[in-house]
Amino acid sequence: MEIMRSSDVDVELTINGHKRELRLDSSVTLLDALREHLDMTGTKKGCDQGACGACTVLLDGRRVVSCLVLAAQCGGREVTTIEGLAPDGALHPVQQAFVRHDGLQCGFCTAGQIVSAVALLDEGRTGSDEEIREFMSGNLCRCGAYPNILAAIREVAGTGGE
Amino acid sequence: MTAVTGSQLVGDPVDRVDGPLKVRGAAPYPSDVRYPGMAYAALVQSTIAAGTISSIDTAEAEAAPGVLAVLTHENIPDLAEAPLTALGSPPRFPLQDDRIVHHGQHVALVVAGTSGQAAAAARLIRIGYQETPAILDIADPDAPVVTNPWGLESERGDVAAGLASADVVCDETFTIAAETNNPLGLFATVARWDGDRLVVHDSTQWPMMERRTLADVFGIPEDDVRVLVPYLGGAFGAGLRTWPHTILTALAARIVNRPVKLVLTRPQMFTSVGHRPETVQRVRLGATREGRLVALDHEGTSTIGTEEANLEPITMGTPSLYACPNVATHDRQVRLNIPNPGPMRAPGTAQGNFAIESALDELSYAVGVDPIELRLRNHAEVQPGSGLPWSSNALRECYLVGADRFGWAERSAEPRSMRDGTELVGYGMAGAAYHWYQTPCRVRISIGRDGTAHVRSAATDLGTGTYTVTTQLAAELLGLDVGRVRVEIGDSDLPPAPQSGGSGLMISLGNAVHDAAATMLQAFIDAVAGDEASPLRGRRPNEVAVHEGRIHLVADPSAGETYAEILARHGLDEITVDGEVQPQPPAGMAPAGAFAAHFVEVRVDEDLGLLRIARVVSAVDGGRILNEKTARSQITGATVMGIGMAMLEETVFDPSGRIANATFGDYLIPVNADVPTLDAVFVGEPDKSTPIGIKGLGEVGIVGVPAAIANAVHHATGRRIRSLPITMDRLL
Repeated sequence: MEIMRSSDVDVELTINGHKRELRLDSSVTLLDALREHLDMTGTKKGCDQGACGACTVLLDGRRVVSCLVLAAQCGGREVTTIEGLAPDGALHPVQQAFVRHDGLQCGFCTAGQIVSAVALLDEGRTGSDEEIREFMSGNLCRCGAYPNILAAIREVAGTGGE
Repeated sequence: MTAVTGSQLVGDPVDRVDGPLKVRGAAPYPSDVRYPGMAYAALVQSTIAAGTISSIDTAEAEAAPGVLAVLTHENIPDLAEAPLTALGSPPRFPLQDDRIVHHGQHVALVVAGTSGQAAAAARLIRIGYQETPAILDIADPDAPVVTNPWGLESERGDVAAGLASADVVCDETFTIAAETNNPLGLFATVARWDGDRLVVHDSTQWPMMERRTLADVFGIPEDDVRVLVPYLGGAFGAGLRTWPHTILTALAARIVNRPVKLVLTRPQMFTSVGHRPETVQRVRLGATREGRLVALDHEGTSTIGTEEANLEPITMGTPSLYACPNVATHDRQVRLNIPNPGPMRAPGTAQGNFAIESALDELSYAVGVDPIELRLRNHAEVQPGSGLPWSSNALRECYLVGADRFGWAERSAEPRSMRDGTELVGYGMAGAAYHWYQTPCRVRISIGRDGTAHVRSAATDLGTGTYTVTTQLAAELLGLDVGRVRVEIGDSDLPPAPQSGGSGLMISLGNAVHDAAATMLQAFIDAVAGDEASPLRGRRPNEVAVHEGRIHLVADPSAGETYAEILARHGLDEITVDGEVQPQPPAGMAPAGAFAAHFVEVRVDEDLGLLRIARVVSAVDGGRILNEKTARSQITGATVMGIGMAMLEETVFDPSGRIANATFGDYLIPVNADVPTLDAVFVGEPDKSTPIGIKGLGEVGIVGVPAAIANAVHHATGRRIRSLPITMDRLL
């Protein structure tokens, strides 16, 4: 089998408002760039195939699965990760709501769930329980915390619910 | 306090103490660990299910950029055999010879400077195979069958005579597809040698077992192995073995003399860390016209690897379920060329319950008795067989409270009799029991001069809430605020703890904490024994109590002093004590695990066969509940996995033995939109089998959910589905 030869590229990423310059292989995903090159391990790898949502980050404010984005595509774009949602030591209202409603168990999918939920609120997709459930369905949780995740998002959105 | 008051059945809904760390993405999981100079490993797996490796060419891989080593069966050193554990013989170590026993068996490990280099080089290894016929079907007459592998078969009374005398006999076969645990956290190992000492960060539910395994395999003292897993991205049983990839990673680290990290890929999670085996069960129920059971015969068959062991106790709990004079159980395992199965949440019990509780629903229609009334008529007031009273049993209350919350009374018994527009509506229920399990455990507690307690044990928290409920229990028993207790777990250097498994960790660890807390109070009393300044001098433990870190006389709360004052006056930095528990089933009673009743409403689109779960109510007897919030999450989370088992999950083996759906795109687990409102309520009283009154909660939440769903599907559609998962094609 012939392996496609890739080559190093220089990328300037803006992550959580900070500029980071990296030289990395052009095949490196944004997820691996975060985890292995920048030691930002809050963003998780649950499948590396774009199917679980654990690696969700915001790219120019929109949620993406960072395992399906090449780092080299992100030059000049704004990346927001779980570490960038709130200033040091503080918690974003969505993070607080996840703790209060026990919207997590093992915690592995949690960063992706929370980043996704923050985007969901911006997208205005929190009008009903059904809408929240549907638009959070790209983020898998094997511990089954879904009802509590729904409750946390519903509270922050102020949509009341059931 | 030194004794649990027991006055409060349901403990405070304290927020998960590790929650703030986890919501910031700051909890360090094994896959997050990085060392300077760390190398990365990638696995190569077999592409046949049976045969031998005839050639393995690693030259091109070894020459690839960044590659440090390629390990195969041709070049690794001999390793010693891993020890037996409570779950039987260890997983087969695959690189010991050239034989292939299943598709996806590890055949090589590549180590390189980056994860990308390791993965790229792994694709350059060329392997020739000599293929032999594989046995892949549970019904294949050529498959070896093991009968009664764990000695769990049992009989009381005379089942044949009971069946012959019955007014009604139900004789049915139930099948359940293989499933895969699929925790979100990819299993990862980071291994580092420091001379002859080995440190391993690993996705394990059992650090002490892993420490012993690695020590045996590498021929070093147990004290020279340290296993670390402060946080684990789920496991659901997959972390109860020391898997070959962990041993291979430690071996690789020794060979390249650098720390090495291996993270399994999602497809490798299907072949490398066990799965719930496919099962076939035959249930024969004999009953009187009134629905009283006179005979119950339960035969369970599960798949297993060709050369390995797996404890899958499908029928183990059956004899204790109902008051029935004649009960027999039979266990068989069929050896196939598949990755060896392993524990998955409520192993065996989840499947056994589906068959029994489905069969009871069939009986309820056969005799015309409501499913709840049928169960009440057969309720085991005492443990069947032994006749001993239960240490606690609120199953009757589970049925009644659950039925009330669910609105069972609104159900019309006739199938297909309830409808909402184009949807058929079905109500179904099932009872559940999960066996009692406790195992030796130790804990160390220190109270320091700042008045805080430090609790240490080699236990784990898979998301189950170990950190949180241990904090709460220690705080209660030591008389401290929750915020003044710090729990440290997930490290094999700490006092030995059992696995997070079998719903047995908290009853073990909790009672060890109870023991340590009593010793702690005695230690403080001893510290002031000759201290004339102390109002506690000469007092006995039962004469004092502790509140907010201050020990005082029960008879005169104004007379007392704080932990911190005692330590300061005696020039002590801290007092440290150990606590221990040995499993001691109580005399004169049958130790009871948790009980539950699950109630489900389903909706079935008549034209499309679409099944939807509309709501679930679970009433649970978990003894004393330490934390209402995390306990509820245990139940509802397990219910979600039960929904997956009932309607989505199936690990599919293709005719070559390859798992055909080994991705999250193809193997479906429930997503948020699949899960409705889940109601869980706790009933019962503190369990009398141990001082702290709790029962394990990790598994009872899944047991019974698939049967309740299948029973609801029958009620909605008139179709009795005896095969899981209940997919659309089965409802058309």
